[in-house]
Amino acid sequence: MLKVLDSAVPVACWSCAVAHNDATLFCPHCSKIQPPPGGDYFSVFGLVPHLDLDLSELEHEFHRLSRKLHPDRFARAADNEKQWSLADTALLNDAYRTLREPIHRTEYLLKLHGAAIGEEHSGKDRKDPSRVPADLLEEVFELNMQLEEMRAARKMGETDAELQASLEQAKRKFDGLMDEVDHDLRAQWKAWDEGDAGARAAAQKAMVALLDRRRYLNNLVRDVTETLGA
Amino acid sequence: MAYSDRVIDHYNNPRNVGTLDKSSTEVGTGLVGAPECGDVMRLQIRVNPETQVIEEAKFKTFGCGSAIASSSLATEWIKGRKVEDALAIKNTDIVKELSLPPVKIHCSVLAEDAIRAAIGDWKKKNGVAETVESTAAAQ
Repeated sequence: MLKVLDSAVPVACWSCAVAHNDATLFCPHCSKIQPPPGGDYFSVFGLVPHLDLDLSELEHEFHRLSRKLHPDRFARAADNEKQWSLADTALLNDAYRTLREPIHRTEYLLKLHGAAIGEEHSGKDRKDPSRVPADLLEEVFELNMQLEEMRAARKMGETDAELQASLEQAKRKFDGLMDEVDHDLRAQWKAWDEGDAGARAAAQKAMVALLDRRRYLNNLVRDVTETLGA
Repeated sequence: MAYSDRVIDHYNNPRNVGTLDKSSTEVGTGLVGAPECGDVMRLQIRVNPETQVIEEAKFKTFGCGSAIASSSLATEWIKGRKVEDALAIKNTDIVKELSLPPVKIHCSVLAEDAIRAAIGDWKKKNGVAETVESTAAAQ
């Protein structure tokens, strides 16, 4: 669960009483374990929020912190330290799982900046036409029709080679479109990471639209794969 | 989450599923989608050119039960109405009729968009001046 405390707020270490930034898992002064810090998942790894992450560095840091936090190391520690090692480990795992996966990471960062993503979006700003991938609708609809036909034929024990070929072609096409979206998303990562406030706002908008498009494509590819594999 | 009886009724017995001839000048087609859940909805109307009454309405929706029920209800409501009267249907009317929960409100928005898009398409084909609202929805 994400805490939304301000990570810049200094807290006094429970052990040595020296003030430290709340985002840290261990006191920089006395090295003692700290209660689960506020702030975001990036700050757990000592990172500022950004999208073009070095994954091998992230993994390396994850393993290092995991070892340091491991409950076995706190077997003889005080009760509250034992609890913190469990809680910090859970937080670290959540943070790592979210940040290492590109789409989750992007969605997470956008949510941190107030974007409404996916199902949580209430439909209030649906009048914004940029949210609907209009060029896709026609194809999405056609493909759904073909999928329905294919399933109906299957039920009757028939196989339609032509339909099958057409679906396989569609799948390749949508896979390709998905690659394009991922490529565009990476370009927006850079724009966000390196941009000023204005460029960031533009990149955020673009990423929300790309993620919508991606969700569409992802559902389609899933449905086609399911139907073809049935 | 449980669907209301009205949703289940429309889902099990959807009214007016089907296709109208897209190329006919009397037919308007609205194709809309909801990026939130990947739903896609096509709603078509056939308008009597003399009376401007929507004589036929058909839909085809790929999506969840609420999306299907919303479009089914929408076709039921617009049939027999004059074009301008059909535009008066609001998504909140659909929400009320189907008792849609907050997370499914976007399904009703989609149905309203589909009505507007279909009417917008018909108006474009027939050179009818567009109202401000339907211009926005038809794009």
